[in-house]
Amino acid sequence: MTMTTGSEVRAIEAAAAPKRFARGWHCLGLADRFRDGKPHPVRAFGQKLVVFQSGDGRLNVLDAYCRHMGGDLSQGTVKGDEIACPFHDWRWGGDGRCKQIPYARRVPLRARTAAWPTLDQDGMLFVWNDPEGNPPREQETPPRIEGALDDGWTDWIWYETTVESNVREVIDNVADMAHFFYVHFNFPTYFKNIFEGHVAAQHMNGKAREDTRPHVEGTPRYLGNTSVAAYYGPSFMTDELTYKYEDMDIRTTLINCHYPIDESSFVLQYGIIVRKQAGLDEEAAMEVATTQAEYVKRGFEQDVEIWKNKARIDNPLLCEEDGPVYQLRRWYEQFYVDVADIRPEMVERFEYELDTTKPNEIWQKQVEENLAAQAAAADRAPVA
Amino acid sequence: MIRSDNRLADLPMTPVECLRCHATVRVRKSSWQQTSIQWDEAGARACLERRTALGRGELRAADFPTCAGLRESIDRAVVSGRMPVAEG
Repeated sequence: MTMTTGSEVRAIEAAAAPKRFARGWHCLGLADRFRDGKPHPVRAFGQKLVVFQSGDGRLNVLDAYCRHMGGDLSQGTVKGDEIACPFHDWRWGGDGRCKQIPYARRVPLRARTAAWPTLDQDGMLFVWNDPEGNPPREQETPPRIEGALDDGWTDWIWYETTVESNVREVIDNVADMAHFFYVHFNFPTYFKNIFEGHVAAQHMNGKAREDTRPHVEGTPRYLGNTSVAAYYGPSFMTDELTYKYEDMDIRTTLINCHYPIDESSFVLQYGIIVRKQAGLDEEAAMEVATTQAEYVKRGFEQDVEIWKNKARIDNPLLCEEDGPVYQLRRWYEQFYVDVADIRPEMVERFEYELDTTKPNEIWQKQVEENLAAQAAAADRAPVA
Repeated sequence: MIRSDNRLADLPMTPVECLRCHATVRVRKSSWQQTSIQWDEAGARACLERRTALGRGELRAADFPTCAGLRESIDRAVVSGRMPVAEG
């Protein structure tokens, strides 16, 4: 027996995850969650933040620690337009300025804390993170979501979970066609990526898989789906996802977004809305939304299972039937450098259309084998 | 630092000029169906179809599909043998 050593073995290489957090808009969740008149602690970007709604209705995000003696503002109280520190009642406005110290004749100079630009849009609260401290880049404003807060669509169904991995793992999915078959039991038949500017798009069509999601007698047959997904910036993805049934198409919008807690964990959130239509009233649409949200939830649980056991890898060994993982990471890098250091190749348009011929041939065979095995097992099973 | 795609070591990208607008892009094909296209800013500016499609303001840049003129130019480059394909 010989051992493979030295130059024959390909080594996995990986630098430590960056200490810096991505520049860009990050969704902190559904805005209504923060509108209860109480301060909310949020751990993000390696810090603790406080989110509160001021009397004027605005949602504000400040560093949670009071610049006076370090009290935790998220344990404080909202008083008018300000958040009051529980330690000495210092009052901080949403703009980060100390407005009042009730027991003092005047506020000291430079009484200013870190305030984060916020955006309250389509039912979601966003904060702008920028290691350089610049105001939000106008061209990177999150896109408006068709159907959000619209009577013709359902309300958001929203989930949130903490993942103990670096956030790059979730980004990689944008370019990873094959994992949709093996991890999520989908069957992609068409796959194309387009990266340009701050947007990374994924166009994917898929067909139904009888072995993993069998048709239930008496219900409309599921045929497949079309999906146009795109990351707008480093952490907010929209997915216009249409489920095709023999009797109708169901239009849904899926949001997949996240913010880093620190370099080795992040909060992953996903939300879904479904369009109501003829044959799909309020209640039925809500049921579809709930069911699909469950599938998405399960999908992310499948991802998380992989992520928490896998190695970080900077030099993935790709075959021709894989997507453009390196070019995606090159695009993603733009959010981790100063704006002045964004290189043209990070933002220039790149297109990648995958050839699904070989994967589809193998997958079809696999599905048929699975179905045959299931039928054989059913034949062997004792009749109850 | 982002590494380079291991697949480019086997077959690098080849410049292809669009027969319609003369934009030059870099292209790689691993098969007849698979296509990678790297644009630069000059190429994107030159593309007429892109300018028309995005000029109306209804389409987001990343949703603009591969322009038909370029697609045809790439196909012709392959057929004429100017554009290599990784596997026949």
